[in-house]
Amino acid sequence: MAAPAAATARAQALSLLAAANNHGDLAVKLSSLRQVKEILLSLEPSLSAEIFPYLAELHLSHEILVRKSLIEIIEEVGLRMLDHSYALVTVLLVLSRDEDPIVAKKAISVGTTFYCSILKEMAMQFHHRGKVDRWFGELWTWMVKFKDAVFSTALEPGCVGVKVLALKFMETFILLFTPDASDPEIFSNKGSRQMFNISWLAGGHPVLNSASLMSEANRTFGILLDFIKSAGRLPGALTIAVVSCLAVVARKRHVHYNTVLSVLLDFHPNLETVKGCHAASVQYSIRTALLGFLRCTSSPMIESRDKLLRAFRAMNAADVADQVLRQVDKLVRNNERAARENWSGKTNQAINHQNSWDLSKKRIMPQGEDDTINGEVVAKRLRHNTNMHLAPQVQTSDSPQGHVSINGISSANHPTDSELTPVEQMVSMIGALLAEGNRGAASLEILISKLHPDMLADIVITSMKHLPSSPPTLTTSLATPGDIVVSSSINSMCSPAPQPQLHFDPTLPAGSSFSDVPSFNNATADPRRDPRRDPRRMDPRRSNSSVGPTSLPVGEGKEPVPVQMDISTLPSKPLSVPVVTAGASGSVHPTIVERSQNKVVGSSVIWDQPDCREHLLTIPDECAYPSKGRPSLDVPVSPCRDDEGIRETKFLGSETKCDLDLVSIPDFDQHSPSASVPDFDLHPPATSNITAAEESYRELAAVPSYIELTTEQSKTVGKLAIERIIESNRHVCGFDCNNIRVALIARLIAKIDAGNDVANILREHISVDHREFKGHELVLHVLYHLHSMANLDTDESSSYATVYENFLIAVARSFLDALPASDKSFSRLFGEAPHLPDSALKLLDELCSTRHDPIGREICDSERVTQGLGAVWSLILVRPNERKACLAIALKCSVHSEEDIRAKAIRLVTNKLYHLTYISEHVEQFATDMLLTAVNSETDLAQTGFIAEGKTEAKSQITSTSDSPRSGTSDIHSQQDLQTARDVSVLSISEAQRLISLFFALCKKKPSLLRLVFEVYGRAPKTVIQAFHRHIPILIRELGSSYVELLQIISDPPKGSENLLTLVLQILTQELAPSLDLIATVKHLYETKLKDVSILIPLLSSLTKDEVLPIFPPLLNLPPDKFQLALAHILQGSAHTGPALTPAEVLIAIHDVVPEKDGPPLKKITDACSACFEQRTVFTQQVLAKALGQMVDRTPLPLLFMRTVIQAIDAFPTLVDFVMEILSKLVSKQIWRLPKLWPGFLKCVSQTQPHSFPVLLELPMPQLESIMKKFPDLRPSLTAYANQPTIRASLPNSVLSVLGLDNGQDSRSQMHPSEATSSIHGAALT
Amino acid sequence: MRFRYAMVCSSNQNRSMEAHALLKRQGLDVASYGTGSHVKLPGPSVREPNVYDFGTPYKQMFDELRRKDPELYKRNGILQMLKRNLSVKLAPQRWQDNAGDGVFDVVMTFEEKVFDSVLEDLNNREQPLMKTILVMNLEVKDNHEEAAIGGRLALELCQEIEGNEAWEDTIDDIVAGFEKQHRRKLVYSISFY
Repeated sequence: MAAPAAATARAQALSLLAAANNHGDLAVKLSSLRQVKEILLSLEPSLSAEIFPYLAELHLSHEILVRKSLIEIIEEVGLRMLDHSYALVTVLLVLSRDEDPIVAKKAISVGTTFYCSILKEMAMQFHHRGKVDRWFGELWTWMVKFKDAVFSTALEPGCVGVKVLALKFMETFILLFTPDASDPEIFSNKGSRQMFNISWLAGGHPVLNSASLMSEANRTFGILLDFIKSAGRLPGALTIAVVSCLAVVARKRHVHYNTVLSVLLDFHPNLETVKGCHAASVQYSIRTALLGFLRCTSSPMIESRDKLLRAFRAMNAADVADQVLRQVDKLVRNNERAARENWSGKTNQAINHQNSWDLSKKRIMPQGEDDTINGEVVAKRLRHNTNMHLAPQVQTSDSPQGHVSINGISSANHPTDSELTPVEQMVSMIGALLAEGNRGAASLEILISKLHPDMLADIVITSMKHLPSSPPTLTTSLATPGDIVVSSSINSMCSPAPQPQLHFDPTLPAGSSFSDVPSFNNATADPRRDPRRDPRRMDPRRSNSSVGPTSLPVGEGKEPVPVQMDISTLPSKPLSVPVVTAGASGSVHPTIVERSQNKVVGSSVIWDQPDCREHLLTIPDECAYPSKGRPSLDVPVSPCRDDEGIRETKFLGSETKCDLDLVSIPDFDQHSPSASVPDFDLHPPATSNITAAEESYRELAAVPSYIELTTEQSKTVGKLAIERIIESNRHVCGFDCNNIRVALIARLIAKIDAGNDVANILREHISVDHREFKGHELVLHVLYHLHSMANLDTDESSSYATVYENFLIAVARSFLDALPASDKSFSRLFGEAPHLPDSALKLLDELCSTRHDPIGREICDSERVTQGLGAVWSLILVRPNERKACLAIALKCSVHSEEDIRAKAIRLVTNKLYHLTYISEHVEQFATDMLLTAVNSETDLAQTGFIAEGKTEAKSQITSTSDSPRSGTSDIHSQQDLQTARDVSVLSISEAQRLISLFFALCKKKPSLLRLVFEVYGRAPKTVIQAFHRHIPILIRELGSSYVELLQIISDPPKGSENLLTLVLQILTQELAPSLDLIATVKHLYETKLKDVSILIPLLSSLTKDEVLPIFPPLLNLPPDKFQLALAHILQGSAHTGPALTPAEVLIAIHDVVPEKDGPPLKKITDACSACFEQRTVFTQQVLAKALGQMVDRTPLPLLFMRTVIQAIDAFPTLVDFVMEILSKLVSKQIWRLPKLWPGFLKCVSQTQPHSFPVLLELPMPQLESIMKKFPDLRPSLTAYANQPTIRASLPNSVLSVLGLDNGQDSRSQMHPSEATSSIHGAALT
Repeated sequence: MRFRYAMVCSSNQNRSMEAHALLKRQGLDVASYGTGSHVKLPGPSVREPNVYDFGTPYKQMFDELRRKDPELYKRNGILQMLKRNLSVKLAPQRWQDNAGDGVFDVVMTFEEKVFDSVLEDLNNREQPLMKTILVMNLEVKDNHEEAAIGGRLALELCQEIEGNEAWEDTIDDIVAGFEKQHRRKLVYSISFY
């Protein structure tokens, strides 16, 4: 039954496929495909596989969507039946290069899934069954093709989207085939989501070759790095993708972290010029990557934190970084606590290790410290050298261990291996490659060429850890197989030999030995004159500035050590030689090296004997051996005659070799001074190449053997030579091959002393080619050379100093003239030059503080100021010697009369410099002095002189600590200050601003400084106070909630600062509700020291009713405007609590104040009432009614009650009825017994007639009578009123008799109602 | 409707929701998220914000604030905003907790901090799909007026991206053009699913 069903299904699938292929309607095609998929999934794999070839044909379809669906089917179906997916995989390969980006992208992503799962299945199968099916092998070859296709997609021009995915595939590839130290778990223990890793293949694999895959992964990593290097030509999206991929690699495979980090940190392409590249986003992607590193808690990331933080500071993103760090630190602390027990031993090791790394990097250090490092390193070196032949054995025996632990099978035996550091991991990788023999060597070369120098150095150090502590006996050391291995490893470490760009930065020592040759005749070996002590060589910054990718690792890793050994006087120094010569010979000819290497190692052992002169001479011999018979050596060394780049390159190779030989020789010279030039002469065969080099030197520079040149001529020739070298440099592009040229140019410049004109020649070259052709390197070479010449104890040294100075200034000016202000070259030049003469600082000063460039032309570009200040900043950071002078420049600018410059300088000083502990005091002192200058300005002329002197003193305090060369600048300053002091007696507000701005900016960083402002406020002149008032609001607002220091000041304000205090409080309370602390402080202040209630005004809105009421009397006593303000605050209240007092309560509170007792005179209280009545919108009719209604019930009645009633009725005539009620209440309270109120009552009654008539009539007879007497006018109208029949009836007789109504007066009374109404109107109108 | 968009701000209330509502009205496939640890809304003073967990329905916040101080929250526009939000979706969602919402093509953020958080989160996820995602940051101040402007700009940008066959090829120009036209800074990055 099953077979026919299957056959039907097959037939159905085929017909559907035909429809998908041929039907005209796209929808039909797609739905047919869906059905095919269902069928395929339902069938047996082997039956489905029969349909696959037909399915595969669909890749030729013209419909994009059909091709896309095809890939989706392949993904779903193929992955389920990998063993039959052969036909489908080929489709992926084709479609990965599809012209439609969507299809190509899909194919790559599905292909990647296939790639990973095939890889994983293969490894699993071998692990479980010990063999791998044949079909896997076939499938794998297709996968390899797929990989090649995708890689080429990444490299060839095409759609960016596809390339981005190809890059992602590269990332996956690197991750797959780079050992993962952080996750050594065995794969079978993990879930199916676990990604394959090369460490699974540790036990070998029939199909997969782990060594070649690893080396290919390394190559791929190199490709990604190359992308970054050529970012200037790529679309931004691609660069961002590369950065993101590299970041992932670095985070997941720590081996590559340091490399990636240094590449990203050095990534400063000039992207603005590139079209179709959004520079900001690219920069941001770097930032994101670095931020990701910062978040990682693995050891290499943590070790590089400082570097990262520096980078973030440079990007102005320090706060973001700090925030991340805080989070991470919290995390780390938690983790550490958890892991402390089982980690302790390991950690110690790691810390030691890290220390040695740090120390070796920081080579500029006090001498004492330096010695200890030397000792340490030398000791290690020593061990390393004597036991060199053993190292590989240990390494190779190490690598199985590594595998074992990775396998996880016996990891329990090697607990520490489970947490390999990147370095150890690298060592094991190298071990694995070495074990591969020849095949591995090639990969090893690539691997090492991509390594970061620090990493390489670390690998060497780490591998030494495994050496036995006691040296082996001499006999066993010779010619073990391990020797061969190590020499080959060294060989490849020292970079591939036959290529011209090899070297360990040979030019420097080479050049040095050139220049030393004449001094040999004196046979004095003054260690100070050893040019290799050139500070540049120990300068850690150099490792940053040099970008030569392959050459420097060796230079960094190896050379400094012998140098340090020269300084120390250990007896076994010559042992360093094998390393150097190994490098040297390695660079000459790899095949011969192995042999010579063995000899060298052998001889190194013998050198331990006291007389080493003999052996000294054997070394050059050995080294020269491979180069014998090279005709190029006999060619006179004169680059001037070299017109063809090719020939020169060839020549370079031999030249380099000579240099390398020379490298080793000065070492011996140091040790045994007599072994100098004469010795070489005695052994001509040994030194042939050296003499050649020497000759070349003579010919190049000053002493021509054949023609006598005049000084002028030699200068001209020299100049021509320089031009030629530069010209040839243009043709031979590339990073590395110009080192020798650079050295030559340096010496030529030194020789011909041509200062400006040569600088002009160079300038163009340098500034134009500053990045790509290493103009910067060239300048620094020249400068260092000149500097070392100037420091030599010869007669000419002073002239070299001049040449140095001229050259430096000329180059610096050329940068300023030619490059845009945003270019970093200028500050980099000053930062890295060996020494900054006064003129350089002067140039810097001009740049920062004048708006004229050196030629006198007006520059309207404030960018230059920024540039100058930027340079000042970096100099302060990196050049302790120039720190004072630079600080003086920055400070000078911070009180510059030009506002723009001043603002920039102030930003620099406060944001960047002030937090540097070593200068913050100076900055503070300076700012204080300036503030005081402003404050003390308004004094008579005699005093002005005094201040000026004082100022000068203060100023020179700042500069006096600097060295004597700085006195020039300090003079300038004091002159300027004198000038300032004279001017300030007529201090304008802008002048005051100029002097105090810096101080206020500092206050932002250190609020406690504000106290001084408070202290001097009282005696400051008016303009200065105005300036204060301008600054304070901004400052206080910026301080925001962090006004703890401010609170202290507020709690104890200096005398005379009350106004300022009030201002500050106003600002503090303006936008935010004041904190409880602030309220408490101010209240305390009010209660204890400062009785002035006006300081409480700003806070009133936040006080409660109970707090406000007690201070009401003093508030009334304030001047009217202040009271108005207080009133407003009270009524306004805070949004949160509402007003402290309602208007009615305010009114009552005013009335509650008793004049005699509380102080404020009656006048003030009445004024306050009037003030309330003026605010008719606040003190409305209802408010008044409410207040009056409450007050009338009081006993005793407030003194001003009647007055207020009258005012109320004046202000709001419609209150009349209410007032009548009040009056009536008063009558019932026997108002006539209160002599102070009674007149008011009467007045009110009289004013409000005829409405008050009923009230009047309520009065007892005597009072009524007295009223009648007092206001006779009232009588007629009142009588008329009372005479109305309705009213009259209700009145007692006594009243009627008072009014004289006992007899009828009808006629009169009837006349009056109309009058009465009219008078009501009249009252209403008043 | 080709691409799927996500609008992300800090609290998924103002900026991202403004843009969400706008893009939704224009028929784009859009979702919105916040990256903060909580949803914060202004309260009676700066120090007393209203804090909610992500997932609290907008309706609930609306009712609660209306009960608390209808005057205040009407005056500062919070109630109107919540009303708008509850018509768009149920509750604010946190970006980091909703990785399961599927694959987006374009993510717009409105604050640098949020941009960093989204990128960090994407980088911390497994990336098995090999699918590119475009993340863009447009700085928008967190107030109603700016959010309205920001929403319009986000819409414009998304429509422009939608109009391109393959954004990877043109994104640099799109971003540069946008910056030039609107004089606003825009930063983009690329990550993977």
